[in-house]
Amino acid sequence: MNREPSPPLTLRSATSLVTLLIASVLFLAPIVWMMATSWKPEAQAASETIRLFADPVADTPAAAKENYSAVWNDVTIRFPIYLRNTLIVALLSVVGMVLSSAVVAYGFARVQWRGRSALFTLVLATMMIPFPVLMTPLFVLFAKIGWIGTLRPLWVPAWFGAAFNIFLLRQFYMGIPRELDEAARIDGCSHWGIFWRIILPLSRPALAVVALFHFMYVWNDFLAPMVFVQHQDMFTLALGLQLYQSKAGNTPWNLLMAASTMVMAPVLLLFMATQRTFVKGLTGGASKE
Amino acid sequence: MKFRMKDEFVGLTWVSPWIVGFLAFLLIPAGMSLYFSFTDYPLLESPVWVGLGNYKRLLSDEVFHKALVNTFIYAGAAIPLSVLLAVVLAALLNTKGLRWTRFFEAAIFMPTLAPLVASSMVWMWILNGRFGLLNQFLGLLHISGPNWLLREGWAMAALVIVALWGVGQAVILCVAALKEVPEQLYEAANLDGMGPVRQFINVTLPMISPVILFNTITMLIGAFQVFVVPYVLFQKDKGGPNKSGYFYTSYLYDNAFVYGQMGYASALAWVQLLIILLLTGLLFLASRRLVFYRGA
Amino acid sequence: MTRRAALGTLAAGSVGYALLGPRGAKEDTRGRLVLDYWEKWTGLEGKVMQEVVAEFNKSQDRLFVRYFATSGIDEKAQIAIAGGSPPDIVGVWNYSVPAFASANAILPLDDLGAPLGIKPEIYAEGMRQVVTFRGKMWATVNTGGCLALYYNRSHFKEVGLDPDSPPRTFPEFDDACRKLLIKKNGRIQRMGFHHREPGWWSFIWGSQFGGTLYDEKTNTSTAASPLNVRGYEWVQSTPKEYGLAEVNDFRTSFGNYDSALNAFVAGRLSMVVQGPWLANIIKLYNDKLDYGVAPFPVAEGMFDKNAPMGLIDTDTLVIPRGVKNPEASMEFVAYTQRQDVVERLSTVHCKGSPLAQSSESFRKNHPNRGIAVFEAIARSPRSYKVPATRCWAAMKDEMDRALDRVWNMQDSPASILGLAQKRSQAILDLTAEQERRRRGGAP
Repeated sequence: MNREPSPPLTLRSATSLVTLLIASVLFLAPIVWMMATSWKPEAQAASETIRLFADPVADTPAAAKENYSAVWNDVTIRFPIYLRNTLIVALLSVVGMVLSSAVVAYGFARVQWRGRSALFTLVLATMMIPFPVLMTPLFVLFAKIGWIGTLRPLWVPAWFGAAFNIFLLRQFYMGIPRELDEAARIDGCSHWGIFWRIILPLSRPALAVVALFHFMYVWNDFLAPMVFVQHQDMFTLALGLQLYQSKAGNTPWNLLMAASTMVMAPVLLLFMATQRTFVKGLTGGASKE
Repeated sequence: MKFRMKDEFVGLTWVSPWIVGFLAFLLIPAGMSLYFSFTDYPLLESPVWVGLGNYKRLLSDEVFHKALVNTFIYAGAAIPLSVLLAVVLAALLNTKGLRWTRFFEAAIFMPTLAPLVASSMVWMWILNGRFGLLNQFLGLLHISGPNWLLREGWAMAALVIVALWGVGQAVILCVAALKEVPEQLYEAANLDGMGPVRQFINVTLPMISPVILFNTITMLIGAFQVFVVPYVLFQKDKGGPNKSGYFYTSYLYDNAFVYGQMGYASALAWVQLLIILLLTGLLFLASRRLVFYRGA
Repeated sequence: MTRRAALGTLAAGSVGYALLGPRGAKEDTRGRLVLDYWEKWTGLEGKVMQEVVAEFNKSQDRLFVRYFATSGIDEKAQIAIAGGSPPDIVGVWNYSVPAFASANAILPLDDLGAPLGIKPEIYAEGMRQVVTFRGKMWATVNTGGCLALYYNRSHFKEVGLDPDSPPRTFPEFDDACRKLLIKKNGRIQRMGFHHREPGWWSFIWGSQFGGTLYDEKTNTSTAASPLNVRGYEWVQSTPKEYGLAEVNDFRTSFGNYDSALNAFVAGRLSMVVQGPWLANIIKLYNDKLDYGVAPFPVAEGMFDKNAPMGLIDTDTLVIPRGVKNPEASMEFVAYTQRQDVVERLSTVHCKGSPLAQSSESFRKNHPNRGIAVFEAIARSPRSYKVPATRCWAAMKDEMDRALDRVWNMQDSPASILGLAQKRSQAILDLTAEQERRRRGGAP
């Protein structure tokens, strides 16, 4: 990687810079506040002065350790188990979502057939169906086939693609020059060959975006687990957090914020590690680099 | 171009995973819920056909009207403001010669990564009338902030603020679209002597209009399904001051799972779907003139 | 590339944790009949219930009970029963029992319980009201919950009130509140009482004036009866006297209930209406708090030392329809109703015993100073319960809204309650119509 030298600041870019600095502070403040509260002792969680650390500051690590271990080791609300459930659901559904959406998007972008655009319109239309419409019948269906009490309702549907991701990938595929397909076809490649050897490798950034978006979606999804998951042993982190928050009589603020920070940290780290891929994957296949 | 049966077969094979999922996880449950909407179905007992009974009941249900009006107010305030904010932030991020772009993008996107339950709790804390960060901050500017969560008008304003905070995904999509605007267009505009504002209106906006439309639609769908944030923010008073924080999906959820009125809840769900379809349709119609598709 | 290496490690770690991480306890059930038991309790209360479950599992070798805590227990149970995969035993709140019972979603316990000695008569009078509905018994009670007044004795002394004779009627109570108020720079720092802390019972105020919300015989809402109106006029007198903006501003200074910032625990409120479990919160967060417990005040002229008033609000065990083996479920339920088990659970929950008889040692060693008061309310003929109708959840939302409007002085209590009554009646009528449609009979 070679770093470009910073371009000179003009009046315009300086104005943007300052505006964005202020905006960033506003956007980050709630998250910073969440973390700040998570490392204070309870008595200081509510106070009429703004503080980022415990008072005295030297107490911060001790308070943090106490809060976080209180959350992690709670005997009845067991975050270690919820973490495992969430990872199982997230990994299985991300793999399924990427594979299925990639295949389906190929059918919409690269195979010519009658009814294709009509069906694609239908795909897009499904995005409009609110989940509450489906939630009870789905519960009844899942109960019939014995999936209630397992994690399956949370990840199996991901193996059949989702409109938003199919749309995203189709857009990306359409940006990949068709000449590449033609050349491969002349070499005797089937659709599968084109997909596997040309399209997939070229769309890596878009696939990464789908994976990331879906991972974050699953990580934070709350309504589906709330309806489909019954046993505490099957809870996901988002649901566990809600249980922690709503348990009879609620929980002290500092512990709630510690739990929230813990749940949020992995996605934050993942985003920071993959941030560059994001914008790259969202722009069409043709215009990158 | 000529088509052969074989092509249909190949095409359908490629998209078959989606078709299977569509049938199993969408069409069948949606059909069931459509049927439920014509029945009296106390969740714990079997459904009994009542024809249009549930839909008729909607007409005279004051709570439903309140929730519907609240949802429209929320959508009417949150969507235009969010769309606008997204474009403005994206344009700023796209400024030539800007530094620290990655940091800014991350800062703006991060809120969307927080679990809604968690961020709603943080907001409940921030909006607290006495100890809240927001009012403490306003206090520094010598403004005495309102009691956000306990006053009727302010509760809605608070929810819109939370919605604006979550604008990150729309911003990223706009940024991606802005990067795709061909440089030649700006060069041509420069030659025509357009200033930056006119360039933005005449070149940039039309070029990113498909993304603006996409953002508007996803926000519309989201606004009509808003649930978790008010659920957490107003759980103490259930629905906030005078039910001003009580929304369409809140009422749907309560009917389905708290009052055990599944038939009525299904009717609510279908009306919700119709409203969304209608509004999306209108958006598409209105956008015919405004949205510019490249290559079309 | 280090970023890639970091991502790889993260991915590998995630997969590893997903495969090998901790699971829920895998008990050795060794061919026993496994019963799933869902409860709402977490924390301390959940722990003692888990211990009782473990002891039951040890006490015999045919049944094995698994304990699961979950949030939104009433909704979850409803969904699970409707979906045909119910737990074998479920601990719902007493106010949900009529809803489950009238849909036949739970089993009547009269025949199941009788051979094991479980019948309504074993409970204290107030508790007996909540385990029965339409002439049958549907639930059992593990720990006795009901509401009373907690007051801060130090605050009383400080302002010259006698901590040994807490207010018994509303005029006395209002006087005490005036004395207990502290204001600094126009902002309230302490109040005697605040109706919206914690705001769980929006509907009890009329009852303390002798009003009722519902007439079960005629299936009518009586929310706007003159006695109820008096109750809500009394509620509205607080924002009127102290200023609405001031009392709402003060309310935002209350912390979460289960925390050191609880308004009563932190001394921001001198009095609060609460269940016995508050004593646990006090012990945990402010052990030095010198508190007293008394029945919540009643309207002038209604005081009766021998018949204190208070809402019964308690946890119950029910057996859903469609369980594998109702007798087995009942066997566990009956185990939890043994006097020693009930007293142990109630002690940890800081509550009174729900049974008609409690032991001398239970009362003597009880951690709640108000144990005598709570047991007296549970045994009182004037204790009351929420309306016994399946649509109470919807009616309660109407009462919540009515209280919110009364408190915010949006209209006179009489017209607010008039509206609430009209809407509650619409809900009742609709429910009656649904029942007729299904069964053809009267509700």
